[in-house]
Amino acid sequence: MNKWKKKQQAPTKTFKRPTLAGDGFGGRARFFLSRALSNIRQNVFVNVVTIGTITLALLIVSLFLLVFVNLESAAENWSERVQVTVYFDKELSPQEQGSLRTKITAVPGVSRITYVPREVAFTRFKSRLRGQETLLEGVRPEVLPTSFEIALKRSYRETASVEGFVSAIKKIPGIAEVQYGEEWVRRFNSFLNFMRLIGVLLGGFMVVAVVFIISNTIKLTIYARRDELEVMALVGGTRFFIKAPFLLEGLIQGLAGSTISVALLFAIYEGFLHSASSFVVFNPASAGMLFLPVEYIAGLILAGALLGFLGSLTSLKRFIPV
Amino acid sequence: MIQLHNVSLAYQQGASALSNINLSIGKGDFVFLTGPSGAGKTSLLRLLYRALDPSRGQVLIDGQNITNIPAFQIPYLRRSIGVVFQDFKLLPNRTVFENVAITLEVLGWGRGDISKKTMHILKQMGIESKYDHMTQRLSGGEQQRVALARALVNDPKILLADEPTGNLDDANKNQILSIFKDANCRGTTVVVATHDRRLIEQSHMRLVTLIKGEIVEQMEKETTGSDQNL
Repeated sequence: MNKWKKKQQAPTKTFKRPTLAGDGFGGRARFFLSRALSNIRQNVFVNVVTIGTITLALLIVSLFLLVFVNLESAAENWSERVQVTVYFDKELSPQEQGSLRTKITAVPGVSRITYVPREVAFTRFKSRLRGQETLLEGVRPEVLPTSFEIALKRSYRETASVEGFVSAIKKIPGIAEVQYGEEWVRRFNSFLNFMRLIGVLLGGFMVVAVVFIISNTIKLTIYARRDELEVMALVGGTRFFIKAPFLLEGLIQGLAGSTISVALLFAIYEGFLHSASSFVVFNPASAGMLFLPVEYIAGLILAGALLGFLGSLTSLKRFIPV
Repeated sequence: MIQLHNVSLAYQQGASALSNINLSIGKGDFVFLTGPSGAGKTSLLRLLYRALDPSRGQVLIDGQNITNIPAFQIPYLRRSIGVVFQDFKLLPNRTVFENVAITLEVLGWGRGDISKKTMHILKQMGIESKYDHMTQRLSGGEQQRVALARALVNDPKILLADEPTGNLDDANKNQILSIFKDANCRGTTVVVATHDRRLIEQSHMRLVTLIKGEIVEQMEKETTGSDQNL
């Protein structure tokens, strides 16, 4: 309260009649914000506990999200291997290649199509038998078939879609033999669906637990300050006047908790997960684990702020004695 | 100023807290409500600032039936009523100044005006030197004066006090009584619920006695005999 002493010494402005704390919405908003901040200063322990709880709860969710995002990204890369191969007994002329390529590309789902001539097929075969090249003595490239390798768009990599695509291209005249590793595709897609189901169940459970923990923590902190609510109601505070600083406080707590949790997640990622990428090989296509995309980070921070706000709102409903 | 017509109050369990109360308190009156514990003194006071709704009857403040006003108007009613309690109901983590200023903040006053008015009332209460103390560091008498300052800082029309001297020694009781009288002299209607006989006898003010939720006796100011037996 040294401010008061300073105010007394300074030449004080004279007021004809009581003036309102601030003009219009801006003035009132500034008042509520300053009240919320001074509430935080006056209840440091309670606020530290609340922010700490929000931070830990959201850190658990964001760690889970990080793992899930990396698994999804790995699955995305693994699914690149879902490809359909069309074999031909003879070398195709450029005209035949062009005509077939156009017909195949016309079937929905094709993302990339590559012609593999006999020479390329033979080179690949040799590289697979590295160290046992003697087995290929006397073997000529002409014994191998030529082929089109067709990579599929992401939405066409499900088992049923692949089967649909294969039956569609089998109808193209000139195409006889088509292979796509049915068993691998089926197993891969089952694994992917199982992983997503576990992710949704676990994630859903975590979100429910986090909402429960955060809302109850806020409820307890507001319960501890119910005298304040009672006094405000007693001296004629409207519901909005009583609620506004508490709601802002909840918003600030949520925002602080979620921002700290994202910062901690980044520290954990930089300090451990990123450098541990050599043995945590989730994703064969990237150097190591990925960090959360920007929209996920923004979502987490906003979710924290929203949780703080809604937690306060529901608790206040119960405790304002007006 | 305050009128109660056939007011009854029943708890949810069916027990009656007040029954058929008829009471009229004029503008600028000073009234003591007395009676044993459980007589209904606190319930009657709570009806006056709409902390409770009567089961039956009308409660009029300044001619307006407050039992009918919608919930969003209750805060505006309370701004013209100051309330003090035996347990003071001060905010422990705020200073004396902040505890009193809250009444003016609610009204939307500016900081400069709040400072001036708050320091003025604290001076009247004799505690201006403790404006920056946390309330839990004050004595019981000082805490009650802070509570009174909070109740009186916006010059309410009515001051309600529920056992205001219950936790205080004689010297502090006298101080509190003189604050009530000063407020009354400035035109505030004062209603004090107490079972402190010494306080009542010392003040010679109008007395309303409640027993088991009924008014059993009313004695006018400066009179010695029973004025009305109900």
